[in-house]
Amino acid sequence: MLGVNQHEKRRQVAGVFIVLGLVIEAMCLLWSTPIAFVIFVAIGGLLMFVGIVLYLYSLVSSLDAPE
Amino acid sequence: MLHATILILSLILFSAVVISVLIARPTITASRGGKILAFVAMFCLPIFCGLLGVSKEMARSKSTNFCLSCHTMDGYGKSLYVDDPTHLPASHFQNHRVPADEACYSCHTNYAMFGGLKVKLYGLKHVAIYYLGTPPAPENIKLYEPYNNRECLHCHLGARSFEEGAVHNADPATLPAIKANLLSCLSSGCHEIAHDLGHLKDAKFWKAGK
Repeated sequence: MLGVNQHEKRRQVAGVFIVLGLVIEAMCLLWSTPIAFVIFVAIGGLLMFVGIVLYLYSLVSSLDAPE
Repeated sequence: MLHATILILSLILFSAVVISVLIARPTITASRGGKILAFVAMFCLPIFCGLLGVSKEMARSKSTNFCLSCHTMDGYGKSLYVDDPTHLPASHFQNHRVPADEACYSCHTNYAMFGGLKVKLYGLKHVAIYYLGTPPAPENIKLYEPYNNRECLHCHLGARSFEEGAVHNADPATLPAIKANLLSCLSSGCHEIAHDLGHLKDAKFWKAGK
């Protein structure tokens, strides 16, 4: 399941974070309460943010070191 | 609204599937096409989905049902159906002077720059108090700051009933004072009945609107 090199592993972890964030976003869209809004912003948003930053970091770090 | 939700959910599902494929087969990203696919799936699509979701959630948080979903607000929701034309929220809601599906937000937002953001932060504070603190009894809930005439004038300014109203023009100083927020529409004793929770149990209610 996990990739062969460090960059691919980072991308996989980033992907997991982003998918979790997307799943939380989808659940909150189906649940119309104030707490859903907070979960969407605080947890879903945070997971997606971490995933995207990790993905961008994997891109930048792969430029430094040849795979 | 439902179509928009389905569209956003479809995009989220599509993004999740593409990212899952990239997680399962990371070697796809070795090729140039794979790198572009990964960039679109792991950067562009999540940001796009996030923005659509935020926009949807922000729109939904303006709805009357959203505000009334907390039990603390039950009395305030009932007060919209009071059968009394002098009851300010009820007359606005029942006569569609504000959109019925955004009744709370229309009067309780802040029509200044970044006012929408400010009231959303107040909303987050409400949620925090509701879940983490001790919410006050409904009749003890107070506004964070005195009600500003600006919110009333957002709709009423320039309206004939407001500009030419007999009471508003009885004294030439009254209208300028209202417009300058020196004389409150609510607390000056003119339109003071807003969400009178103390008398709800004795009130008559408008049944047709339910």
